[in-house]
Amino acid sequence: MDGLISFFASHHAMRAEAVLKSSGWAVRLIPGPKDLSPNCGVALRFEYAQRENVLAALVAKNVRIDGVHCYRPRSDDWSVRR
Amino acid sequence: MIYFDNAATSWPKPPAVCAALSDYFGDAGGNPGRAGHRMSVAAARIVENAREAVAELFHANDSSRIVFTQNATHALNLALYGLLRPGDHVVTTSIEHNSVMRPLRHLETLGVELTVVACGVDGMVDLDRLHHALRSDTRLLVTTHGSNVAGTLMPVAALASFAHEQRILYLVDASQTAGAIPIDVQHLDLDLMAFTGHKGLLGPTGTGGLYIREGVALSPLIRGGTGSDSAHETQPEFLPDAYESGTLNVAGIAGLAAGVNFLSEIGIDAVKTHEQKLVAQFLAGASEIPGITLYGPRDGALRCGVVSFNVNGVTPSEVGLILDESFGICARTGLHCAPAAHRTLGTFPMGTVRFSFGWFNSPAEIDVALAALRQIGVWARSELATH
Ligand SMILES: Cc1ncc(COP(=O)(O)O)c(C=O)c1O
Repeated sequence: MDGLISFFASHHAMRAEAVLKSSGWAVRLIPGPKDLSPNCGVALRFEYAQRENVLAALVAKNVRIDGVHCYRPRSDDWSVRR
Repeated sequence: MIYFDNAATSWPKPPAVCAALSDYFGDAGGNPGRAGHRMSVAAARIVENAREAVAELFHANDSSRIVFTQNATHALNLALYGLLRPGDHVVTTSIEHNSVMRPLRHLETLGVELTVVACGVDGMVDLDRLHHALRSDTRLLVTTHGSNVAGTLMPVAALASFAHEQRILYLVDASQTAGAIPIDVQHLDLDLMAFTGHKGLLGPTGTGGLYIREGVALSPLIRGGTGSDSAHETQPEFLPDAYESGTLNVAGIAGLAAGVNFLSEIGIDAVKTHEQKLVAQFLAGASEIPGITLYGPRDGALRCGVVSFNVNGVTPSEVGLILDESFGICARTGLHCAPAAHRTLGTFPMGTVRFSFGWFNSPAEIDVALAALRQIGVWARSELATH
C-alpha cells in the first residue's frame, strides 16, 4: 500500500476506513505522520494506483479528506501528489 | 420487582450493552482521535460506529451531523445557547421539561423574547394558537416530541412545516421518543433534535446527542481539545469536532451503540406497537377503577409509553410508596422536572404518579399493577370514609 490519505478529523478517518473496506479495498489505518497531518492521529494507507476510484467512493459518502500522499516509510521525503 | 420508570432511565439494559462496556475497558480503552496506536484507533472506531448507528436510526444521511453530548439536557443547552441571541424571539409550549424551560427562562433574562403556547389539559397543543405565536422575527420553535408527564405526542411534522413556512428553525426534544417512536429527521424535516442515550435508546447514563441539519450553525457551548486541527488555537468549525471538545464518554458510547443495534434488530415500529399496547391496556383497566384520575390523551395512539394518574384523596408520593413497598412496583411521583406541564394538566403543585413502560415490560406486569391500584383504591375509599 503505497498511498496515504490524511484527514481533518477522526470521524472522517474512521468512516473512510469503513466505506473503503466495505467496498473490498485493502486499506489500513496507521498513526498519521505529523509532518503531513497535525490532525486526528490517524491516516489511511491504500493502493495509490486506485486513488481515483477510492476518492470517488469517499466523495459519494460525504467523507472529507485533508490530502493524498505517497506513502514512503522511513523517509523524510513526503512529496504531496494530488 | 416491576420497573415502570423507563421515562427516567430504562431498565434493564440489553446484555450486549453491559458486554460493550466491559469490552471497552478490557480491549479498547484508549482515547479516540488522539493518537494512532491501536488502543486509540479502537476507541475511535467505537465512537464512529456508534455515530453511524445513531445516524441510521434517525435517518440522518450524514453521520457527522450527529454530535455526542452527556445527555439530552446538554444537547438542548447546546442548541438553545448556540442559536439564540438577545433580541431573538423563541416559541415553546407549556408541557416542556425543565431542560428546555430553564435555559429559555435564563435566556429571557439575557434579552431573548419567549412565548409559551398553552396546551390543552391533555397536553395536546392547539395548532391554531401555536401558528399565531410564530412571528416574522421568530428565530426558533422548540417543542418536546413526547411529554414525559402526560405521554402526549406532539404533531412534529405539522409543527416543522409551520415553522419552515416562516423560515423559523425547529428544535425537537426527543428525550422520551428516541428509540420508542420511529423518527426520520429528513422526512419530518427537523433542523435540530436532542436525544438522550439512557432512556429509549437503552444505553448507559452520560450519553446523548444532538442532530444538527446541514446549514444550521451553532456557537459551541464549550471549546477545547478535539484531537483535530491541533496546530491551531482556535476551535475547529467542522462537525462533529466543533461541538465535541474534551474526551468523550467512550465507554458510555460503546454501550449506547449496543443499545441502538439491539433496537435496530427489533425495529422501532415494534417497540412503538409494544409500548402503545401496554398503554392501551393500562388506560382501559385503570379507567374502570373507581377513584382513579387519568391524565393525558385517552387515545393510546396519541401517546408514547408514559401514563400519569392519581388516586383521589391520596398524595402521589404515598401511592408511590405503597406501590414500591407493598407491590414491588417502581413508579415516579411528583412533578417530574416539568412544573409547566403539571400546571397545564391541573396537577400542580402536587403532581402525579407516573408509570412509563419499555420494551422489557409485559402485559402481565400491567395486570399486576392494575390489581394493585384496585386494592389501593379500595383502601383509599375506606380511609377517606373513616377520616
Ligand atoms: C421531555 C424530556 N426532556 C429532557 C429530559 C432530560 O433528559 P436527560 O436527563 O437525559 O438530560 C427528559 C428526562 O428527564 C425528558 O423527559
